[in-house]
Amino acid sequence: MASAIVRSTLRTALRGGARVNPASSRSFSAGASVEEEAREAAKWEKITYVGIVACSVLAFVNLSKGHPHFEEPPAYPYMHIRNKEFPWGPDGLFEVKEHH
Amino acid sequence: MIESQRHSYHLVDPSPWPISGSLGALATTVGGVMYMHSFQGGATLLSLGLIFILYTMFVWWRDVLRESTLEGHHTKVVQLGPRYGFILFIVSEVMFLFALFRASSHSSLAPTVEIGGIWPPKGIAVLDPREIPFLNTLIPLSSGAAVTWAHHAILAGKEKRAVYALVATVSLALVFTAFQGMEYYQAPPTISDSIYGSTFFLATGFHGFHVIIGTLFSIICGIRQYLGHLTKEHHVGFEAAAWYWHFVDVVRLFPFVSIYWWGDRFPQSAGGLVDVGPQTKRRADQSKE
Repeated sequence: MASAIVRSTLRTALRGGARVNPASSRSFSAGASVEEEAREAAKWEKITYVGIVACSVLAFVNLSKGHPHFEEPPAYPYMHIRNKEFPWGPDGLFEVKEHH
Repeated sequence: MIESQRHSYHLVDPSPWPISGSLGALATTVGGVMYMHSFQGGATLLSLGLIFILYTMFVWWRDVLRESTLEGHHTKVVQLGPRYGFILFIVSEVMFLFALFRASSHSSLAPTVEIGGIWPPKGIAVLDPREIPFLNTLIPLSSGAAVTWAHHAILAGKEKRAVYALVATVSLALVFTAFQGMEYYQAPPTISDSIYGSTFFLATGFHGFHVIIGTLFSIICGIRQYLGHLTKEHHVGFEAAAWYWHFVDVVRLFPFVSIYWWGDRFPQSAGGLVDVGPQTKRRADQSKE
């Protein structure tokens, strides 16, 4: 019973609402008008700009801090595990920094 | 042909792409196994298989775009197929990534004695989650806002604004990938450094791979929007890209919390530190004396 309701609700939702004019309706939308969509677009445009500004400030702060430096850890047995050779050789593809 | 059709279903033409894609997948699998076991010709077969798959993807999707845009086969009822299919695809992707994040949290919630009984394991230096990891969570979320802007712009019939919004979406995605690359370069552990390194790079790496796929998807949508393929009433491809993009940006919250934040060993310190452990330190001091 419950699954039948869920199924019919899902089907209705996927068809974009049962009783909307099929020519102008769009699946998964509440059938908003063009003016409402334009207002929503303007709202999300502003949110995007706020996001871009916040990301730029954070990026500037983070990049101006410089790179962190780490000590070489002791050779614990679970570090740098090598059970067999890679097809391309003994080293990992991105392990150039290991050898300085 | 469309005039003579009395129903709204799309009866597809015979196509060579399913079998070419299957052969590509077979060559990729066999070539991949051969390559990993250092068989001769493994790398060649693997490369050929991948080229075959990429070629199939290109021509198959090209055909779908032609069927939809030029031939008008994607009626309302036909659009249901890709919608259902894409929702199921995203659900399977959520489960896939959940398994990877769960592998990390499983290892971190009860760290085994072999890695020192702590998380992150002894000797693993981690990056401060409040620096690049936090920024790299905010960037995909902003990009998600931009794709929502693009969606409403398409629905409002503002074609140019939608292109701008997609340019913003893609730009933020590229910045994310750049920062992720920088983080990978700076992060001290590698994928072979303990269960931490393995789960960290597997989970964040697959997430990053999905970001790259979503970026390509959004680029294609931007080009199609620019060419006028997407209309107010019919833009299934864009909707799929938007769903995918929201999946990618929401999923980023999970590694941020369960890997970066939970794995932050020194919440008080700015910048990562390496913990060499009191015993090792003592031993080093003794050997100096």
